Formats: sequence, structure tokens, C-alpha cells
Amino acid sequence: MTEGMRLRQVRKSFGPLEVIHGVDLVVGEGEFVVFVGPSGCGKSTLLRMIAGLEEVTDGDIEIGGKDVTDLDPSQRGIAMVFQSYALYPHMSVRENLGFGLSMANVPKAEIAAQVDAAAKILKIEPLLDRRPGQLSGGQRQRVAIGRAIVRKPQVFLFDEPLSNLDAELRVSMRIEIARLHRELGNTMVYVTHDQTEAMTLADKIVVLRDGVIEQVGTPREVYEHPANTFVAGFIGSPRMNLLDATVQGTGKVMVAGDEIEVPSIDTPNGENVTVGLRPEHLVLSLAAPGTLQATVDFCEYLGGTRYVYCQLADGQNLIAEQREGEDLAVNKVVYFAWKPSELRLFNPHGIKLV
Amino acid sequence: MSAVARHRRQRQKFWGGFGYHAFGIGAALFFFAPFAWTGLASLRTGSEAQQPPLPPWPTQGVSFDTYAVLDTFGAGIWQHTLNSALVALATVVLTVIVSLLAGYGFSRYRFPLKNVFFVLIIATLMIPFQSILTPLFIILAKLGLNNSLVGLVLVYVTLQLPFSVFMMRNAFDAVPREIEEAARIDGARDLKLLVRVLLPLVMPGVATVAIFAFLNSWNEFLAALILLSDNDKYTLPVLMTAVRAGRLGAINWGAVQAGVMVMTIPCLAVFLILQRYYMRGLMAGAVK
Ligand SMILES: Nc1ncnc2c1ncn2[C@@H]1O[C@H](COP(=O)(O)OP(=O)(O)OP(=O)(O)O)[C@@H](O)[C@H]1O
Ligand SMILES: [Mg+2]
Repeated sequence: MTEGMRLRQVRKSFGPLEVIHGVDLVVGEGEFVVFVGPSGCGKSTLLRMIAGLEEVTDGDIEIGGKDVTDLDPSQRGIAMVFQSYALYPHMSVRENLGFGLSMANVPKAEIAAQVDAAAKILKIEPLLDRRPGQLSGGQRQRVAIGRAIVRKPQVFLFDEPLSNLDAELRVSMRIEIARLHRELGNTMVYVTHDQTEAMTLADKIVVLRDGVIEQVGTPREVYEHPANTFVAGFIGSPRMNLLDATVQGTGKVMVAGDEIEVPSIDTPNGENVTVGLRPEHLVLSLAAPGTLQATVDFCEYLGGTRYVYCQLADGQNLIAEQREGEDLAVNKVVYFAWKPSELRLFNPHGIKLV
Repeated sequence: MSAVARHRRQRQKFWGGFGYHAFGIGAALFFFAPFAWTGLASLRTGSEAQQPPLPPWPTQGVSFDTYAVLDTFGAGIWQHTLNSALVALATVVLTVIVSLLAGYGFSRYRFPLKNVFFVLIIATLMIPFQSILTPLFIILAKLGLNNSLVGLVLVYVTLQLPFSVFMMRNAFDAVPREIEEAARIDGARDLKLLVRVLLPLVMPGVATVAIFAFLNSWNEFLAALILLSDNDKYTLPVLMTAVRAGRLGAINWGAVQAGVMVMTIPCLAVFLILQRYYMRGLMAGAVK
């Protein structure tokens, strides 16, 4: 796989405050990379540094093997789609799409051809002569994406492009973006808060926290083998249950007074570890002592599935997802089991144990 | 039943609309009346112009005598109109250019003491300009610009700038940063960025600045009176005092009316031309 983009020890400070602390990342050509992380972790800042809108304090950025760290945004071979669309309100859709090319002194006929091609891909041909003010939110978003396509960039940058749309439109635009990626085959970097967008669109998910990369991996890797408790708790909704446990000899830990079996680890007895269990992996039963015991706090019925909120004997909370079975009364005592392969274990520093 | 209700609703709508428009027309007439009065009065013949002002319209046939009389004052009305027009236009152009750049700078760049400078500029609005006329006069004299229209333009621009910079900074602050960033990604830089992308978006601000600069410099009297000493460099307001003072104690009211018309029409024209840039909702559809 050839290289689409590379970040090398990229840092960013705003005055004395460093917000990106040395990020290393390699993105293959044509890969769809999604940045996720809590609000304020630096996703937008990182994306804007790639775009050239924010100066890089330290480190290098390469796009297509070329160092672009000090290049003007228009020279980097990137195009960006903003959360707020950022269309030029005084220009028609046609002029919006063609503006970049006209700035590059491309001949008029060629601009027209490219604009028509992009409009066709996004099915916005009937809108070409309107102003942005005369478009709906979804249509504006298409125009914003169209403006990016016309630039024929090596790398597309998206900063939460769908978060201003309503839920239904968001789903259809998500599918549209996936289709676009398939058709154009460009490298794409996509920032989002939305777990579903991240899981469905990404070839590679980058989980950020406080300006540091916590894990890079495919959606499956990040979901099934989180590198640490932060990633485990961040990816997935509802989040993975992270339970405090104490090591009791090889292959055994104590959680809230119940002994559970874990893969054998060489952690000393009495050490505190964290057990991770996804809600959908917990199998609920009413009478099976010997596994994890809990009392029901309340249930959320979502139609296809149900979330059962429970409390362990020592007060820790636990969420289980249940696809069938009758409703559970509050304060009912229940028992949980799981397949050993689905249990995750983290050391006292929150790092994944084998 | 529903037909009756619909009928009643239509009637209400008609009378509602009627009242709305009647009030609008009334208000428009109220503001138009002084112009009409002066305009009509200026068309009276020379002898009629000296008579009591009622009725205000010409009764002995329309004539342009009063305008001919007006032309006999000073260096001729064309010369003074040209003086005023040159001064006003130069003031507008310079004020718009400087405040556009300054407003952009204050809105978008970070530099030390930015807010201090901005407050200082705004604070000069608190100084009555009459109080600095003497130093201004001395400075212009040192620069060899006293008794020159260029000097007058510089004074007007200076007086106009604090308000204009403030206006333009607000106008640029209202332009979402993302639009500018999108334009930078599209390859628009510096002057191209300002002219092709930002200028259309701050046009309401520019129109406001231009209108104020025009009106203030076109109508300004005191500085022009003090800084200009040559008769044929007078701007219209200064000329008008000569007309108003009359000759040999006799005031030619017809010439005064004509002078008022000559001074008013360009103001109206400028306002009517620029007011369409006040269009609301220009920014609609840019973001969100
Ligand atoms: N211009 C700036 N000056 C100072 N600090 C800034 C500036 N821009 C961003 N920051 C800080 O940098 C950090 C990262 O901001 P950033 O916008 O990249 O977060 P984010 O991950 O995109 O958050 P969100 O998900 O809410 O959009 C934040 O702590 C923010 O306060
Ligand atoms: Mg952000």
C-alpha cells in the first residue's frame, strides 16, 4: 500500500498551552481514517493542521510522500468540508463549485465540465443556479462536498460534516459518503462524534484523548481489542462495563465478592485490575449462582433490545443488553455469565493485558 | 359557514393591508413634503421668488431663473459643485479603502496591544473636532496643504475613520471564519480573498461607511470655511452662506432654494444607489 499521508511527531501549542502532544500517524493511500475522541481532545486542531489552516508548532506532515508542513492550504492537495458548510453566500452553487478552479486560472470550459461532473456525482444538477440561502441543510452539505470534489484533492478532510443534519438525513448522507469514497478512492480523514459514523465509514479509527493518540486500528480491532480502558469505555454504546477487580491467584480475580475466571496473567496477588465486559456479551439468568451476581436498578426498553442497569454487591454499576426475556422487576437478583473469550482485562494503569 | 368565515377573513386582510399601506404612504408624504416644497419653490420666476412663500409652487409659470442667479455667486455653481463632489468622492474612496483594511486587520489578526489601539481609535470619537481645528490648521499649513482640497479631504477622512473602522470591524466579525478558510483552501489569498470573497459579504458595512462619509463631507461647513481661503475653492456649504448672506442686504430666497436643491439631490442619489446593499439575509445559507 502506498502512503497517502504521514504525520511525524506533530505538535501544536496555542501560546504556552500545548494541545497536540507529538502525534505519529501513517495513512495508506485511499484509506478512510476517522478521528474520534471526547470534545476538546484536538481532533479539529489536528485536521486543521493537515489542511494548513493552523500552523504546525513542531513536526512534519507529508501528503503523497511530499512534505507539506509549510505549504499554503491550496498547494497541499487537500479539500475540506466544514461542519458549518462555509459556502460562499453571494455566489450561485455553480460559482461555489468552480471557485477553486477559477482561482487556479483553469479555463472556463474546463471548469464548467468539472462542475457538471461533480454535480452529477452528487445529484445536485437542478440546484446549480441557486444561491446557498435557497437550499436545505442537506443540499448545502452536498454542495460543500461537491466543492471539495471539484478540487480533485489527494486527501479529503471532513470536520463533523453531518452533525448539523437531522437523524434521518445523517444516515443517508453517511451512506452517500461511503459510496463517494468507493467511487473516488481518495484518502479521506473524517472527524466525528458519532460512533455509528466512525464504525461504519472507517477503514482505520484513530482514538484521541487530550492531544495524544490512544489507539489506531480497524473498527473491529478498536472495538474488540481496546488497547486501554479509555478506548474500551469510549468506543461502543452503551459503553463497555469496566469493573474493579482484585487478583486472586493465577486465572482468578474477585469482582464484588464473586470469583471469576480470567486468562492466566502474571500479576501479583492482591493487585487491582480492571475487567471489561461489553453489555451485549452478558448473558442474564435468574438462577445460576456462582457467576456474577447483581440487582436490577431499572430497564430501558428500546424495541429490538433492552438495556438492564444493575448494581453489584459493592455498588459498582453494570449495564447488560438483553434481546429477549420478560421484563425484570426492580431489585430483582440476577446472575450474569459470558464466554471467556469475550472478557477483557486491563492492568492497574488501564493498559490491556493479554 | 366556512365560506362566510373565509369571506370575513379576506375582508379583514383587505382592511389590514389598506391600513398598512395608508400609513406607509402618509409617512412617505410627510418626509417628502420638504423636498417637494423646496423643489417647487426653486422653480418660481425671479420676481415671484421675492414674494411671500405661500403657495409654495410657481403660479406665474415654471422658470429656472433662480438657478441662473445662483450661478452668479462665487466662481459659478458648477465650479463649487465640482469642488464638493471631488472632496466627497475622494473622502468616500479613501475612507472605504482604509477602513476596509483596518477593519479586516482588527477583526482577523492577532497583534500586541490590539484592543488598546482599537479603544484609542474609538475614543477619538469623544473629542469634538471643533476643538482640534486650530492644531489641524497648523499641521496642514506646515504640510503646505492649507487652502487646498487635498488637505480638506485628509481632514475629512481622519474625522470619518474612527466610526468607519468600528463599522468595518463589526462587519468582518460577522463573517464566519470558515468561509475565509474555505476560500484559502480554494486558493484565494490576500487581495483576491478580500475582493472576491469578503468584500461582497461586508457590503452592507461598506455601504454604511460610504453613505456616512459622503453625507458628512458633502455637508461639512466649519472645517471647509476655516481651511479654505480661496473663493473658487469653496465647497457648496461655504458658498451657500454667501448666497444666504445675499447682496447689498437683499436676500435672494429663490437662489437659496435653488442652492438647497443642488445640495440635496446628490445626497438623495447616493443614498438611493447604496441602500440596496443594505439587503438583509445576504449571509443566509453560508453556515448552518
Ligand atoms: N485558537 C485557539 N486558541 C487556544 N486554544 C485553542 C484554539 N483552538 C483550539 N484550542 C484548544 O485546543 C483544544 C482542542 O480543540 P479542538 O477544537 O481541536 O477540539 P475537538 O476535538 O475538535 O473538539 P470538538 O469535538 O468539541 O470539536 C481545546 O482544548 C481547545 O480549547
Ligand atoms: Mg472540533
